[in-house]
Amino acid sequence: MKPRVFAAFVGPSILMMLLFIAFPLLSVFWNSFNVTQPVYETVEVESCTAGFLEQTCTTEMKTRPILDEAGEIVRQTEFVGLQTYRNVLELDRLGEALTSGSWAAIQNIDFWKALRFTIMFTLVTLPLVVGFGLGIAMLINNASKLIRGPVIFVSLLPFIITPVIGALSINWLFRGDGILTAFLEWWLARDLALFAQAWTIELLMMVYRVWHVAPFAAIIFYAGLQTVNQDSIESAVIDGASRWQRLRLIIIPHLMPLIIFVAMIHLMDSYRVFEEVVGFRAEGYVISLQWLTYDFLKPDQAGNRSISRASASAMLTMIGIAILLVPLLKRTWRDHKGTR
Amino acid sequence: MKFRTILMAGAMTAIAGAATAECAFENEVELRSLTAGFEAWKAVTDAMAECGNFTANLDQEFREKQPEAFAADPSLYHIGGVANATLIPLLNAGTIRPLNDLVEKYGQHLKPNQLITVDGDIMAIAMMVNNQHLMYREDILEQLDLEVPTTYDEMLEAAAVIAEADVVQYPLGGTFKAGWNLGEEFVNMFLAHGGNFVDDANMPTINNEMGLAALEKLKATTEYLDPEYLASDSTYVQQQFQQGQIAMANLWASRAGAMDDPEESQVVGKVKMAAAPMGPAAPVSSIWWDGIVIASNITDEEAEAAFRVAMEGIDTETVEAHPTAAIWLIDGYEPGALAAGAAATAAKGARPYPASSAMGIMHTVLGNGIAAYLNGEKDAETTLADIEAAYMTSAQEAGLIE
Amino acid sequence: MTSKALRQPASLRIASGAFLALWCLIAAFPIAWITVMSFKSPVDAFDSNPLNVIFGPATRAGGSGWSILEIVLGLAVIYIAARLTVRRVPTLVASYSPGGYVALGWVVTAALVGVAFVLAFFGLLPIVTDLLTPLVGPLGRDIIGATTEHYQTVWVDRGFSNNFANSLIVTAGVVTISLSVGTLAGYGLARSGSTLAFWILIVALIFRALPHSVLVAGYLPVFINSAEWLSPILGENAPTLYGKPAAVIAVLVAINQPFTIWMLRSFFSNIPADLDEAARVDGCSHFKAFRLVIMPVMWPGVITTGLFSFLLAYNDFLVTSLLLDASNQTMVPAIAGMFNRETTTTDQVVAVAAAVSITAPLFLLVMVFQRQIVSGLTAGAVKG
Repeated sequence: MKPRVFAAFVGPSILMMLLFIAFPLLSVFWNSFNVTQPVYETVEVESCTAGFLEQTCTTEMKTRPILDEAGEIVRQTEFVGLQTYRNVLELDRLGEALTSGSWAAIQNIDFWKALRFTIMFTLVTLPLVVGFGLGIAMLINNASKLIRGPVIFVSLLPFIITPVIGALSINWLFRGDGILTAFLEWWLARDLALFAQAWTIELLMMVYRVWHVAPFAAIIFYAGLQTVNQDSIESAVIDGASRWQRLRLIIIPHLMPLIIFVAMIHLMDSYRVFEEVVGFRAEGYVISLQWLTYDFLKPDQAGNRSISRASASAMLTMIGIAILLVPLLKRTWRDHKGTR
Repeated sequence: MKFRTILMAGAMTAIAGAATAECAFENEVELRSLTAGFEAWKAVTDAMAECGNFTANLDQEFREKQPEAFAADPSLYHIGGVANATLIPLLNAGTIRPLNDLVEKYGQHLKPNQLITVDGDIMAIAMMVNNQHLMYREDILEQLDLEVPTTYDEMLEAAAVIAEADVVQYPLGGTFKAGWNLGEEFVNMFLAHGGNFVDDANMPTINNEMGLAALEKLKATTEYLDPEYLASDSTYVQQQFQQGQIAMANLWASRAGAMDDPEESQVVGKVKMAAAPMGPAAPVSSIWWDGIVIASNITDEEAEAAFRVAMEGIDTETVEAHPTAAIWLIDGYEPGALAAGAAATAAKGARPYPASSAMGIMHTVLGNGIAAYLNGEKDAETTLADIEAAYMTSAQEAGLIE
Repeated sequence: MTSKALRQPASLRIASGAFLALWCLIAAFPIAWITVMSFKSPVDAFDSNPLNVIFGPATRAGGSGWSILEIVLGLAVIYIAARLTVRRVPTLVASYSPGGYVALGWVVTAALVGVAFVLAFFGLLPIVTDLLTPLVGPLGRDIIGATTEHYQTVWVDRGFSNNFANSLIVTAGVVTISLSVGTLAGYGLARSGSTLAFWILIVALIFRALPHSVLVAGYLPVFINSAEWLSPILGENAPTLYGKPAAVIAVLVAINQPFTIWMLRSFFSNIPADLDEAARVDGCSHFKAFRLVIMPVMWPGVITTGLFSFLLAYNDFLVTSLLLDASNQTMVPAIAGMFNRETTTTDQVVAVAAAVSITAPLFLLVMVFQRQIVSGLTAGAVKG
């Protein structure tokens, strides 16, 4: 394919990505090394605010930004190098915690606390999603043709449901005396408060994620199972291979590219875990890297936001994902070399 | 639902929408507003819409959008809804206009208490106030022969008796959800101890006796709360009340009406209101207000129309149509039994929420930092020191301190 | 699995069936449960006794409920509708759509099926039950408390149909543009063996991995002030992009591009290159070869990819909540708003009803497209 033709085919897509992803990304990168802030002055202000029955007026020193002639806030931008990254990573505190050898002290530093949970969440759910996905796919494949359609339909429900709604329904089901908590209490014959300690919340978040993503894995594996070569299975049976051997030696290798595809998508998505933290109201116990970024970015009620630290933490999240993806990129590179 | 009823209802709304009832004048200027989405704002913006040519945007993300949208030229919205805290960014950026002339022309009926002034300029018109006060189950306190607690310590003692008697699931309810809600609980407690959050140079002043005392009181409270307290917000506490699971809570006044709603409450008539329990210096509460502002990046004609429409929204008719939607500051509001607690709290000297740029940062770091103390990961001194350190980092990044 | 040698022992079949049933229960329970909740009064909906939630005594006491007759007829209508949809619709579409407009045929059909179902269920059914109730005696008495007032509140009083229309606009826009742009790019990438193509894919992969909240926050000031910075180019008519569905569509298409081009590229890689090579030898340009040879065979992959685009656009919260204002909000931020503001318990049940309403079109979609998804995936839309 000639470069010009190639450009014509790929151009629109690249343009969209440049405009709405690459360009903002550049500004994120830039912001992580610079701090932009308003110039403040401190003045004495008399202000009156609404009381219950009558006004309360006070005169006090207030800090407020200086406005220029056009009425815009005067801002200054300063290059701060890696300072913002230091603020996010809090390496000095990490060093102290490491020398004292206290895990709890490390877990008191936001970034490392978030990193710990994010990595654990990713690595625990990954095998579960692949395993359950494969299991469900084989169960469906095993079912009679008559019920396959409805079963696939039901299986897909957790995947298609709007994530915000999914997290909310978990709230209705588990919070306080929610119906599933009540069921568990009856079953285990003890009082439960699932949102009262970190480990139960983490467990719930992981269960929810597996419930939500396993159907995606299942449907892809199911499609893969349709193309397994029946002849090789039959000859394996004739050779006396057990079910387990057939699974391990024929089916899994056949599905391997799909397993890698699912694993890759899942790695990227679960490393960005965020909806669960908000949906499960877990902020008091566990936080994730993307939640941290979001929290820096969200303006407080007086309109301040920590754009620089949000950018730095976003860049760090990206670096983390890139590291996780290296093995996969290597494989894609090999394929690319092979097909050329 | 029957299909016919849908059609009927659709037709009815169409008719209602067409009529511009009850507005004193016909508005000819295209106007838009951006406010929060709770019940009182719905009532007020519905009343504004009666004047015609008005689009209301009730948006929960308003806090994020308002500063940017008002800074645009021309401003994307003419009327804004703010609270004492969310007024700050607009005030700082100079994107809302002084209303002195307009108040003189169209706002003679406003009470002085409604006029929010900064250095003599009227910058906002308040329409309602809100604070936290004690709600309690009268039947339970009577059954156990308990007095209505007036101080926070009395409240905790009463909670201990209730827990002992095992008459409800949890003696207390509290809006301890990590984040803004938890921050607000500390703010109330710290105000009640007589504390100030930052000094004139915006340096933090919470790591002291008062801060430690406030933290300990919060921890003592959690003994009597649902163990899932770090996930419980106002709506959740309200539901716990309605389902008869808790006996007392120091809760937002705006939630009082729901206790007597027969549609959803199982404890109608049993929940009574009293002043917020006293701390060492003031009631454990803070006074908030909500009100309207007018953008500065619009023409004077638009501003005039916007102000007149806004006045129609916050007039006596709105109050009469929605008497329980809020504790109105507007003329014609008659506080009922449900508002008694809020009034008593104010009378006992509850302090206004100390809104400022620095306080915005302080509230956020408090909301994020206190959970670690409550669930035992840190001791009180470390918690406060860490919160101050987090405040310093944020305030430096924002440019508030050197 | 026809061969005798592959027949499974009964024990395995039973175990497999049991596990599958368990999975289906787990998969469907939360959605089924919130559907039940949405029909109850607030007192019943949040009751901690499951039987009270199901039978709704307080709701029934409030005077609204369903009789056995209504339940049986209702289930029958749902069953028949589902069966007709799955069995007949694909063949109908295939035979009636003019060639090349299959996708359009699907869209029209899906909409028609939805409307027909709503008409039959809410229009026809009540009339029939009203006629029959006096005739069947005890079967006509209410046994389950249920009320549709929350749906009425959502759709009529809260103007949710407006949000629904906005969701449709945004979703349709994203799916169409995303697929047209993505198909071209996917084809180009699949047929070009150059190192550049490889790096484009890698960069797209990294873009796919970005945390969205960071990107999105950067858009807000740019979109709000677009009238100012666009005016040198567009003059007086420069639009304010904030609050315009078109702007949201553009952003979502971009965010969705990496996944789309990866999927379509692997799909096109599985279409033998000989096909279009042959056309090229006959003197076609790349575009003509694409149009004549590839387009007719690409639909399974495109439909599958399109479904993922649909889900992304329809379910998006971050972008839509930030860049649209309340007057043209889509459904997801509208529902989240119902929750986040100071709510009463009734509001919460109303929000539950809204949550069920938003899931219904997804149901329909998957029901109709289920076979196409599987066949598209089988044909190689994902090969890693």
